[in-house]
Amino acid sequence: MTKIVAAADVRKIFRQPKRKPGLGGALTGLFSREFTEVRAVDGISFAIKAGEAVGYLGPNGAGKSTMIKMMTGILVPSSGDLTVLGRVPHSHRMINAAEIGVVFGQRSQLWWDLPVRDSFELNRHIYDISAQRFAENLARLTAMLDMVGYIDRPVRQLSLGQRMRAEIAMALLHDPKILFLDEPTIGLDVVAKDVVRKFLAEINRQRGTTIILTTHDLVDIEEICPRLIMVDDGKLLFDGELRHLRATLGNRRRLTLEFATDPGPIALKTAELVADEGAAKHFLLEKEHTSILDVLTELGSGHNLTDIKLEEPNIEEVIRTFYQNKPSLAGARA
Amino acid sequence: MKAVAYPAFALTAFQSRLVYRNQVWASAFGDLVSIFARIAIWTAAFAGASQVDGITLPEMVTYALLSAPLLYWEYARVLYDVGDAVRTGDVAVFLLKPLHYPSYLLSTHFGHFAFELIAVVVPVALIVGFTVGLLPPASFFHGLMFFPYWAVSWLILFTLACLCGLIAFWLLTAFSLEWFLMAIMSLFSGAIVPLWFLPTPLATLFGYLPFAWISYYPAAVYLGKLDRTASWLHLGIGLIWLGLLTAAVLVLWAKARHRLIVQGG
Repeated sequence: MTKIVAAADVRKIFRQPKRKPGLGGALTGLFSREFTEVRAVDGISFAIKAGEAVGYLGPNGAGKSTMIKMMTGILVPSSGDLTVLGRVPHSHRMINAAEIGVVFGQRSQLWWDLPVRDSFELNRHIYDISAQRFAENLARLTAMLDMVGYIDRPVRQLSLGQRMRAEIAMALLHDPKILFLDEPTIGLDVVAKDVVRKFLAEINRQRGTTIILTTHDLVDIEEICPRLIMVDDGKLLFDGELRHLRATLGNRRRLTLEFATDPGPIALKTAELVADEGAAKHFLLEKEHTSILDVLTELGSGHNLTDIKLEEPNIEEVIRTFYQNKPSLAGARA
Repeated sequence: MKAVAYPAFALTAFQSRLVYRNQVWASAFGDLVSIFARIAIWTAAFAGASQVDGITLPEMVTYALLSAPLLYWEYARVLYDVGDAVRTGDVAVFLLKPLHYPSYLLSTHFGHFAFELIAVVVPVALIVGFTVGLLPPASFFHGLMFFPYWAVSWLILFTLACLCGLIAFWLLTAFSLEWFLMAIMSLFSGAIVPLWFLPTPLATLFGYLPFAWISYYPAAVYLGKLDRTASWLHLGIGLIWLGLLTAAVLVLWAKARHRLIVQGG
């Protein structure tokens, strides 16, 4: 597999004019300008192989959209090397644009007053798609995204979920090698999110389309992207598989044992007691490969155990821990 | 991409206008009111005289129709389109596609214009023609010459509107510019008062500015107020202006694009 996106120490520094408040400030701003530097992307490196699905995760203002804009060629990095499909995106904008698909969750690319089909037809001309390939792709995408019912309705009459499905279909009509999505599930309801996620996972697994998406919804990552890149303040915090993130963070599974009567204090080597409610005791398992059986073997019989509950660490908890412990964990790789 | 996409944009713009049929009635009515108001003003100004400064009243009626809805079309749509795309950052959507934004604008707005021509201007011309009467071109030569003048006029108005829209990128508002442009153009272009009724120094000055090619020169050619030599000469000057304005649009677009992709808008 070949690298199709490579970023090496990429930085983007925005210079923003300092504005003083009020009319006087606006007037002085016309003559003398002071600038503040905003480091939106601050020395990020990663490589993405063909066929991967990567989630680019970070809180608001972490520099996610800036990175997507640089990869799609509509923003020039301040420094560092960035190549997409072996080319520098912004200096080969037209060629790059023909080989990628882009969906912005908050910006529509559909023609507002016209039926969805007409916008698709326009894209056929823009990307110079042959009639046969267009017909095939249109039929396939219409069926997969369940657009039959509304493809002939004007875009302004569609729900957000329908529109987003149409946006994604439109970005895929020309068989792009890479699909970039900037917050594709933003504002969608649970059902619509689910349709979008299942579809993206499917085209990635079945057709091998490389997917790079930004989100702050963790479920997007769980369901679509085996690989996770986490950023904050423009810096890379983590790059690797989601399950490795759990391991890196040492988030442990929680075991709850319930007894018929309080067995008194219990100390175990395989699990750490974190809360003791008498008849119910809560443990954290020490290691990832520790099984319940290990714990029960160590516990031995004769305790009149009534219930056992094992909980996986919740991904939201994992990420929250990550951001809270950020300074000590910065640069962690898995 | 193939150039075939650009006619497709024009067609799509044309189709999108069919959606808002009420707009057609509104603009046709607005144009009629404006033309009949100007006809009334000229009738009063002529005060029964058969001609003023060598111009007859029927010529002024024809000038009123040619100058405003036909030649001085609704360019504000271009200005808002460019201004909004630039201000909201929607222009990024166009940069993500393999297409040339100014060419996209040109084809789209040609589609809008074609729609207005068919749905509004032609019916309005028919109504004015059957009620007040319109003059044919002064001669076969002038009639033929009107078409290249018309093309230059359309493109000059388009490039001027694009320029103002693009300047919005730096001033971040198209609103004040539109009023500025509207005031200048309605006077300088001769859309309201033909240059031949202005004081000579003003008429001479305005006669060299590009605005005069929007309404005044094409209408004057149609009415035969320019002889053959003057017709060819002014067509040449118009083309030079068009070249300069096109270059200005392309330079400004390159600057705007550079700023957009370097500073992020």
